[in-house]
Amino acid sequence: MVDIKQKYNSSKKWTAKSIGSRFQHNFFYFLIKHGGRETAYFFLSFIVLFYILCKPSIRRKTDYYLFHRFKRRCFVQRLADSYKIYLNLGKSLIDKAVIGLLGENKIAMEFFEREKLLGLLQEGRGLILMMAHVGCWQAAMSALRFFKTPVHLLLLREEGDIDRHYFEHAGIASPYRIIDPTGYLGGVLEMMQVLRAGEILCVMGDRLLGGKKGSLAVDFLGGKVLFPISAFKIASVTGAPIVAMNSYKSCSSGYTLEISGIIRVPAEAGKHEQDLVPYVREFALTLESYTTAHPYQFFNFYDMWIEDSQNTEEKRGILNEH
Amino acid sequence: MNIKENLKKILIEELNLDDLTPEEIEDDAPLFGEGLGLDSLDAVELVVLLEKHFGVEVKNLDEGRAAFQSINTLVAFIEERLVQ
Repeated sequence: MVDIKQKYNSSKKWTAKSIGSRFQHNFFYFLIKHGGRETAYFFLSFIVLFYILCKPSIRRKTDYYLFHRFKRRCFVQRLADSYKIYLNLGKSLIDKAVIGLLGENKIAMEFFEREKLLGLLQEGRGLILMMAHVGCWQAAMSALRFFKTPVHLLLLREEGDIDRHYFEHAGIASPYRIIDPTGYLGGVLEMMQVLRAGEILCVMGDRLLGGKKGSLAVDFLGGKVLFPISAFKIASVTGAPIVAMNSYKSCSSGYTLEISGIIRVPAEAGKHEQDLVPYVREFALTLESYTTAHPYQFFNFYDMWIEDSQNTEEKRGILNEH
Repeated sequence: MNIKENLKKILIEELNLDDLTPEEIEDDAPLFGEGLGLDSLDAVELVVLLEKHFGVEVKNLDEGRAAFQSINTLVAFIEERLVQ
């Protein structure tokens, strides 16, 4: 039997690297170019089925989230849940590649709240767009090109990561400037500079980019999860509003991008980290709502939950079943 | 009170370094990581306190990287800006 504690601890870390090999990626790029999106979806469904049935280590990566989202489910139901999540993830990766390889007009992106975003930007304190690994955030980024103001993205790219961004597929320059979170002081000076220039900063609010430092534990789906707080801290000193926004696949060839919350962090809240908890929780609540509405479009394949959760023992029991 | 002493006192107050005295903060020790042990979130606060207490602005990454090495480099940065 696999040591569940070892499995539990090793699963804590997430990686930006893709599950698929370079060959698999190139195979799908070929399918997209020569057969279109639907052909790629067709092959994807079988490949995902293979992974779900024959690669328990891959399937298990979804169990942490599924446990917190659905609690106890039978094994067959968990298989089906895992299949749906990986299928949706695969489709989002295909859609991202479609945008780059076949053009932005091949994937529809609905966004009805442009004026609201532009209004917030006009406040002159910059704008923090806080997204998460749900839906297709890269397609969402492509939909934000209506901004005339420069957009900057805090993005971790690991050595050996073969997954490409849509603009790399298209062979065009990045439409946004990338800030490296592993750079000097985690990129916070650049992030402040961006906001003080009244520009737009995009961050992923659901994953730690490094160690536990610079994070706070808040409730999320029945347990405590560490969320990164540097964006909240910077918002408190710059006065920039944080806009929680996410996309979801709303039809076969399209996504809807929506604003799920506007978080304003007062200056005094940044003085002590614990004072940021209500604002981080506000973001976590927007994610909880998202998982209620779109349970199979949440793509965090590691154990986000820290061990003080009352569900830990029950979760270990379920993870030990297969 | 000179700039260095004032800066150390402000750092202790604003960055909640209550277990330190100004005398215990070494002039050449690194501010981040080993040394004073500040982290990236403290850097945000540091930028703000420089503006609030000394009226100097860290305009970009290069300025910050040079100034945030130690107490001595920070004091040199402040003095240079105050002269300008």
